[in-house]
Amino acid sequence: MSDERAKQPPEISTSTISDEELAEVMEREKGELERTWARPRGLHGWLIDTDHKAIALRYIVTAFVFFVLGGIEAALMRIQLARPENHFLSPDKYNQIFTVHGTTMMFLFAVPIMTAFGIYFLPLMIGARDVAFPRLNLYGYYVYLIGGILLYAGFLLNTGPDAGWFAYVPLSGPAYSPGKRVDIWAQMITFTEISALVGAVIVIGTTFKMRAPGMTLNRLPLFVWAQLVTAFMVIFAMPAVMLASSFLASDRLIDTHFFNPAEGGDAILYQHLFWFFGHPEVYIIFIPALGFISPIIITFTRRKIFGHLALVLSLISTGFIGFGLWVHHMFATPIPQMGQSFFTGASMMIAIPSGVQIFCWIATLWGGKLNFKTPLLFVLGFFAIFILGGLTGVMLASVPLDLQIHDTFFVVAHLHYVLIGGSVFPLFGAFYYWFPKWTGRMLSEWAGRLNFWLMFIGFNLVFFPMHQLGLHGMPRRVYTYLPETGWGMLNLIASIGAFILAAGVLVFIVNAVWALRVGAVAGDDPWAAESLEWAVSSPPPHYNFHNIPVVHGRYPLWQAPEDAPVVRGLSTTKRETLVTSVLDAQPELRFEIPGPSIWPLMVALATGVTFIVGIFTPWAFLVGAILAGGALTAWFFGDPNYENRPGHDTEEKSETVVPPGELQPKEV
Amino acid sequence: MIKLTTTSRRILQCLLALCFSSCSGIQNSINPAGPQADSLSRLWWLMFIVCSIVFVLVMVALLLALRKRTPHSDVTPVLEPPADQERRKRNVVISAVTITVIILFVFLIASFSAGRSMTAELANKNGLSIELNGHQWWWEVKYQDVDASNIFTTANEIHIPVGVPVTFSLRAADVIHSFWVPNLSGKKDLIPGKINTIWLQADKPGVYRGQCAEYCGLQHAKMALWVVAEPQEQFNAWRQNQTQTSMPPLSDSQKRGQQVFLSSTCVMCHAVNGTPAGSNIGPNLTHVASRNMIGAATMTNTREHLAQWIRDSQSVKPGNRMPQHNFNEADLQSLLDYLQNLK
Amino acid sequence: MSTRTIIDVSELPHHEFDTYDPVWWGNNFLLAIETSMFAILIATYFYLRQNFTLWPPPVAQLTDTLRPLPELGYGTANTILLVLSCIPMVLTDRAARRGDRHFSQIGLVIAIACGVAALVLRSFEYAAVYFRWDSNAYGSVVWFLLGMHMLHLLVLTTECVLVAIWIFTREFDMKHRVDIVTVALYWYWVVGIWLLIYAIVYFTPRFG
Repeated sequence: MSDERAKQPPEISTSTISDEELAEVMEREKGELERTWARPRGLHGWLIDTDHKAIALRYIVTAFVFFVLGGIEAALMRIQLARPENHFLSPDKYNQIFTVHGTTMMFLFAVPIMTAFGIYFLPLMIGARDVAFPRLNLYGYYVYLIGGILLYAGFLLNTGPDAGWFAYVPLSGPAYSPGKRVDIWAQMITFTEISALVGAVIVIGTTFKMRAPGMTLNRLPLFVWAQLVTAFMVIFAMPAVMLASSFLASDRLIDTHFFNPAEGGDAILYQHLFWFFGHPEVYIIFIPALGFISPIIITFTRRKIFGHLALVLSLISTGFIGFGLWVHHMFATPIPQMGQSFFTGASMMIAIPSGVQIFCWIATLWGGKLNFKTPLLFVLGFFAIFILGGLTGVMLASVPLDLQIHDTFFVVAHLHYVLIGGSVFPLFGAFYYWFPKWTGRMLSEWAGRLNFWLMFIGFNLVFFPMHQLGLHGMPRRVYTYLPETGWGMLNLIASIGAFILAAGVLVFIVNAVWALRVGAVAGDDPWAAESLEWAVSSPPPHYNFHNIPVVHGRYPLWQAPEDAPVVRGLSTTKRETLVTSVLDAQPELRFEIPGPSIWPLMVALATGVTFIVGIFTPWAFLVGAILAGGALTAWFFGDPNYENRPGHDTEEKSETVVPPGELQPKEV
Repeated sequence: MIKLTTTSRRILQCLLALCFSSCSGIQNSINPAGPQADSLSRLWWLMFIVCSIVFVLVMVALLLALRKRTPHSDVTPVLEPPADQERRKRNVVISAVTITVIILFVFLIASFSAGRSMTAELANKNGLSIELNGHQWWWEVKYQDVDASNIFTTANEIHIPVGVPVTFSLRAADVIHSFWVPNLSGKKDLIPGKINTIWLQADKPGVYRGQCAEYCGLQHAKMALWVVAEPQEQFNAWRQNQTQTSMPPLSDSQKRGQQVFLSSTCVMCHAVNGTPAGSNIGPNLTHVASRNMIGAATMTNTREHLAQWIRDSQSVKPGNRMPQHNFNEADLQSLLDYLQNLK
Repeated sequence: MSTRTIIDVSELPHHEFDTYDPVWWGNNFLLAIETSMFAILIATYFYLRQNFTLWPPPVAQLTDTLRPLPELGYGTANTILLVLSCIPMVLTDRAARRGDRHFSQIGLVIAIACGVAALVLRSFEYAAVYFRWDSNAYGSVVWFLLGMHMLHLLVLTTECVLVAIWIFTREFDMKHRVDIVTVALYWYWVVGIWLLIYAIVYFTPRFG
């Protein structure tokens, strides 16, 4: 049945129509289309809304709140470390704070916000009406939210995890971390990892199957490539941390011996499992940011990117090589030197694709029609900061040198240079670039510049001195240090810088709040940009595209001919989008998109019961499984179309799509 | 040329001073006092200089790229840039990538040869052999020898002879710790259930501070140690003393102090050779008075500090395993007299 | 007056088998996630093995053997059952593709019976291993291997039940025929992974 369909399926027909008639037909359909895709009302409506844009914005706001919380934790740490033998924080509080800071930033801020950009923009950039699995998407958000609430509930009740964001055994094991602190950490991992995996499956499913006709893989935007590579990395990396945290939780709760050397377990096993995930994790955070940089550079240099193929291959090879580095976190363990040297080679090698991208971007900027708006400023900040971080990374790649600087503030400096420079700066650039699309308003340019410079200067003041602190002997994760060490001055400078950095973030928040109320109206395409999300209104209609566009090149809005074809024939009474083939984006199906539903929330709550109560008793797994099973059954048997629920207007509307026969080609 | 005002010159001086201050530190990886740290320090400077040059070059390239300004009115996208320009850029990018690869190879080779120096003496059985056992939050130090009478246990302070390779066998009693003396070598982890090995050597006499470099719980921040490198004769004398049993109490106060020690909870954790006290849960106190610091290099070993530690170590190192003690003043003074006699 | 071409997709179907349907992709990537998980779990099994001179380690109560190997009975029976269960599953798959509702119903009922039987046999397999999950690292990792797979058997059987209920009580539409084919894919995967785990848990200790 299948092979013949690979060629032009007989179910597709083409015809021509005048623009006037098309506009007329669209006007007639618009109301119904809007009703079909309407956001459900009220609080109940908010809970069941499956629109990918709504879910993504929720992710972004939630993740940003966690970013601010993580920043507050950092500020508290910097206050404590500003002077030697400070008594601002007790050792217990400090240890909880640095653990929660790292955990928040890595699991509750960075990965979700990068996923969120994908969830928001992928359908828009590829010409689809929603993601492939909208209800699963909503479930992923709720699970993430529950995980974050779990962590902070524990923290605020003074049972926050305190074994580091990586929670090495045996410190995090049952013998040396009594109580529920580490269990809260381990189960939070479960939630965020489920959410990330769900997000990855959605990204791949949507990108592979829902691209507009004409968007062959060759024409895929770099933003989409970055999200795709990241999604693949999530699929292969997350299971490792799932096992690490599950083994840890079961060692603690049901007395297994995975990490107990007395019964054949192994402390280094935990490190292998954790870092096999942990190293790809930082690339999972970094690669989507690379996907922000390319569109921003393209838009603000007004030219096609230099080296598109090289950039794509660099993204892919970074993704692959990223899986071969993990032992570089373990150079001080008794792993044989020869084996470790392989990881030095791989860790240095990954600098090459990063370098390729940097050089290609500089080549794009060179001679471009530069427009120094705030998004571009943040991208330039990325260059300065990330490159420095990447270079210190090459230093850390060397086994012998790493044995001096491992676990010192040098690493703290390095990781913040690559993560803040490599991800947060492009992220802020992306905020300024795409805020108009989300909200229909422009952020203030001058506040943006202030934001940028405060963050840039503040960041460097905080983290540059840490390189020296590490070389001068200051280890990580210390709640204080002796005055005789002489580390006081540099720590003080770093602490002052922290507040300047915080001021920058505050400027952003004020800017965003201000712009939401009185920012300049953005219009569809304030930047005269090149990708499909700018073809629709700001904010986009709930259904994204009235007619699925046909794509003619890598820069659809810059390359669209005047009389570009459009796709028609999707229902206006049911939520449908076009499914196309993976390689060539040939139309294949009119896929039915499930509408809003309460069941994702219910399954998420059941998941929550399973894993949270599971901290206290293993029976929770049985009860939770039954609850989840019930909710999943209801989801399976439930109505895919929200409109057909009792109480809603259920009048069966006939399709108002004009069948092909009626559109008579008009003579030009 | 930028003219420096007095203020900006002062600021510049401050910055330079900060950059190069404490280069003479005793817990400093770029102030090497032994062949390993020296090899690592040289690797560091090589990488630092090359990376700094690379960074400057890339930043210059970026700034140059940002030079050209077109009028804001010209926003027509360029989808077909001039082919010769693109070709030239391609060649530059390829050259830059090639140079990157070459530099990385140089680093790889330099790293590999520095790595060899780290393993060089591990098979050497002629130098000094020490077994280190990491505890929360102190270091148990056991000097090994073929002659059993030369074996002894101490804590938190390690003496080594100058110019002799010392091999450390690293174990952990509870959680993962990391042994790091930056002036002498890189670090190695102490992992429960595993044995790790490191060798180091001091070429100059001096005191070098080390610190635990793997987060190990509440008092990770205050788990430090001293490595005292001294000439061979001095080391031999120190070692000779350490192998002796404890100094017997001479004065009445010291005898009373020993009674206080043996009849209170001290003996649950601490050992003093030559007395019934034999527990190794806490540091061995046989020669505690010969040590420079107490509390794992947290405080100097003075009578006052010792008193504070005994009475209320929780105020110095909150969460450490030693309980508070409510000795009356007379008992405490006698105890201090006894302890200060344990040279 | 400008004109433009319309590409009319209103005649396209809603669902189709295999790579056409996003559900196929979603399902397979979920299986990729689970495969990675089992791969890492198997690596853990071999990693922990390095810490033991005898694997499985000795048991005090058994004096006639130094290495209490897992007994083959239930595990082998389960393996044979699972492999054989693929036959009705393939036939059900084909029935769903050609639109044969009756045969699909029968096939799913057989599948559910196989699933339940496999679950019962699995619960006996734990006792065939001479250690509990809390005895030592060997016991922990073997129970985890058996247990994670059992979870999949449970989910698989439940999915079969749900799909069966649908095709017994509601329309035998294309969407749910695609669901049957998806469940079949999951079935083959569960069996395939089991063959690997079976070989590793029951046989690798016997050879070296």
